[in-house]
Amino acid sequence: MPNTLKLLALIAALTVPLAAQGGSDTKGKFFFKKSCKSCHATGGSAKEVTPLSKTQAQWKAYFAAGKHKKGAEKLDSIVKPEQIKDVQTFLVNHASDSPQPETCGG
Amino acid sequence: MGTKLMDRRLFLKATGATAGAAASLQVGCLSYFKKGRSGPVDRREVPTTCELCPNKCSAIAVVEYGLVKKLNPNPENPKSRDMLCARGNAAIKQVYDPDRLKQPMIRVGARGEGKWKPVSWDEAFDFAAKKLAEVKEKHGPQASLWSSTEGFQEVFFKNLGLAFGSPNTVRHPTLCLASVNLAYSMTFGTVPSFDLLNSRYVIMSGANRFESIITPDTMDLIGGVMERKAKLIYLDPRFTVTASKADEWYPIKPGTDLAFILAMIHVIIKENRHSKDFVAAYTTGFDQLVEHVKPYTPEWAEKETEIPAKDILRIAREFADAAPRSLYYAGRRSSWYQNDFQMRRAQAILNAIVGNWDQVGGMVPNAKLPKGEFLFMPWDEPKAPRVDEIDKHFPLAAKGDGVYLKLRENVLAGTPYPIKAWMVYKQDPMNAMPDQAKTLKMIEGMDFIAVIDVAMSDMAWYADVVFPESAYLERTDPVEVMAGIWPAVVYRQQVVKPIHDTKPNLEIVQGLAKRLGLSDYFDFTIEQWVDAEFKELPIPMAAEHMKKHGVWAASGQPSYGKTLTPDHRFVTKTGKIEIFSERLKEAGQDPLPVYASPVQPPNDRFRLILGRVGYFTHANQSNNVWLNEFMKENDLWINPKPAARLGIANGSTVSVTSSVGTVKLKARVTEEIRPDCVFMLHGFGKKSKMQSLVYNVGASDAVILETAWDKVSGNAAFHETFVKVTNA
Repeated sequence: MPNTLKLLALIAALTVPLAAQGGSDTKGKFFFKKSCKSCHATGGSAKEVTPLSKTQAQWKAYFAAGKHKKGAEKLDSIVKPEQIKDVQTFLVNHASDSPQPETCGG
Repeated sequence: MGTKLMDRRLFLKATGATAGAAASLQVGCLSYFKKGRSGPVDRREVPTTCELCPNKCSAIAVVEYGLVKKLNPNPENPKSRDMLCARGNAAIKQVYDPDRLKQPMIRVGARGEGKWKPVSWDEAFDFAAKKLAEVKEKHGPQASLWSSTEGFQEVFFKNLGLAFGSPNTVRHPTLCLASVNLAYSMTFGTVPSFDLLNSRYVIMSGANRFESIITPDTMDLIGGVMERKAKLIYLDPRFTVTASKADEWYPIKPGTDLAFILAMIHVIIKENRHSKDFVAAYTTGFDQLVEHVKPYTPEWAEKETEIPAKDILRIAREFADAAPRSLYYAGRRSSWYQNDFQMRRAQAILNAIVGNWDQVGGMVPNAKLPKGEFLFMPWDEPKAPRVDEIDKHFPLAAKGDGVYLKLRENVLAGTPYPIKAWMVYKQDPMNAMPDQAKTLKMIEGMDFIAVIDVAMSDMAWYADVVFPESAYLERTDPVEVMAGIWPAVVYRQQVVKPIHDTKPNLEIVQGLAKRLGLSDYFDFTIEQWVDAEFKELPIPMAAEHMKKHGVWAASGQPSYGKTLTPDHRFVTKTGKIEIFSERLKEAGQDPLPVYASPVQPPNDRFRLILGRVGYFTHANQSNNVWLNEFMKENDLWINPKPAARLGIANGSTVSVTSSVGTVKLKARVTEEIRPDCVFMLHGFGKKSKMQSLVYNVGASDAVILETAWDKVSGNAAFHETFVKVTNA
């Protein structure tokens, strides 16, 4: 893990609660699909991103940094500030190390 | 052909000609018969997707003069193997069933009395919306419970409950195999498929796959086992059809499967037969496992399971030698014991250490296909915590499914808050849940109950209002991706227009939503929803293709080994296959499966074990006239030794009593069951008079099953009931 990412992870661990971030998982999914997947999809203009693209700690670090396009722009210029908490909740809840057991249908 | 044999053609001929004609006449479809057969036949074929079991096989409906005449398998679906089982064929009789719900009805007598008033849809919607609003006003939106089972239109029902403001959606998995899903998710981060078609050595614990449900797994087993490519080891207290086809059958002492599996792991590790490279590269916690299984010797397991130690030793060696084309099969069947999760975890761990993951003939992570989504701004999250307190008692379980039996306990106790309205879609809690008396008590405590279903289930029989849903052959549903070794997309489209005053679930939900002020979340047609899903399918001209073919399958051979790369991250806490689970430890559960001897029934009692037959499998199909021809009544299997001791003769009526109820049914005295168990089939003894073929015929297991659940997943434990059997 690069040092900057380690630092960000540490900051995130200190500043962000471990649980669901207090946002809406359901709305977060909607905003993620509306705002992020328009580019970050298979065949899209940017690399595909799904909740599984990062671990919970990595997502927390990403949102703590609040940067988009490798730091080139602020995240809240892409996702509206009032929607960020919901998107973060969705991505953390469904991250690659999240406890989300599979189910039948539904 | 012997007179007692019935193949599909005979089945259709025998049952279709008589019952089909009678039902058709009953629904007033005389035009077909008036037209005769001399002129050109008004005939068309419509591809669709079966709904009579959860497997979703592709079918082609043959429609003549507006009537569904025949259902054929659709060869384009690799998952359903050009097969449509007898049950699938009998979907015709779901449409033309004289017992089915034909218009909305409101109860006018006491609950369960069977007095109903046919009403218009507007009346039914107004009535239900008023009652829901009253409950919301008095107790808050969380006081409503939304029960449903798996189905393509289930999403709309669940969404209505959530939009209404209730966190209390509860689904079927904890009455089915949530323990399997959780055990494999906790170990591999996913629930894999089992490559039975290519496996060379298969072990099954009671998953009666040749008999209980007919799915592609069954067909693969037939291909794999019956052609003698694979060896099948089968453990079951009962001699089932699968036992009869197995190479070796062991009538294992009930509740001891975990001991058998732990002893197998013991042998494989002790003899250094595990896949060392795989374990080193892809797993974590193997060292703890080595220490953990040291006491679990075959000799110890023999005392627990009554399976000879020499056989356990040999089977363990054969299993490891056949790896990676060997597997301990996980499903399908419901959960049995309070240690069910840990038993399934042990299976998963055994599979992991022989390295059958993502291998031909082993366990294969499911390939998926993308589909689009109809996006809309969703509702605010319900504010109240769930009434089943899932976070507190089952923190690892799937939150959206809920935990059914704990939920019922809490509702009956009124904690942490009251539940006063019960909305039910496509589910029959009266028969799906153990201890029917408790379910009836829960019903008594409700201010309002509504049921959406095709037929008058026992649950519907006790409702205040019933909303008749159109049968699957009468409606178009959302698109479904069938993840698997051979992934496919299936589409269920309307074959014939509804023959009664019924509606698809979406329109029922919309009718309620409109009156509850929630229309914003349901402002679309099924066509718009489906079109959005078509848009991201990886198929040229997707909409046209799906409407014409009903199915699309990824071409080519299945690919194995995609996850066997150094940088692959499993969806677990560590990113590895977790033999030892830190997450379980944190939750206060055993991080490796620990065995405890099950309590055995006292001398004058038997352990009640359950099972299914593929004709209906689930309780909602036993009233289908074609399927009922195969089996009209259930009975109680009892071994000749205890039967002689109790003076019970074959065919005599017996009383079966547990701590929660008594049922009466006929005895089947047979050597095909252990002397310490009795067995009965699920799905009979209905209370609804609109299940006329099975109303008060045989007995419902739900009446005598006691409430017990698996400690980790909360899955109902269906084999924890002891019963007394006497001549009635």
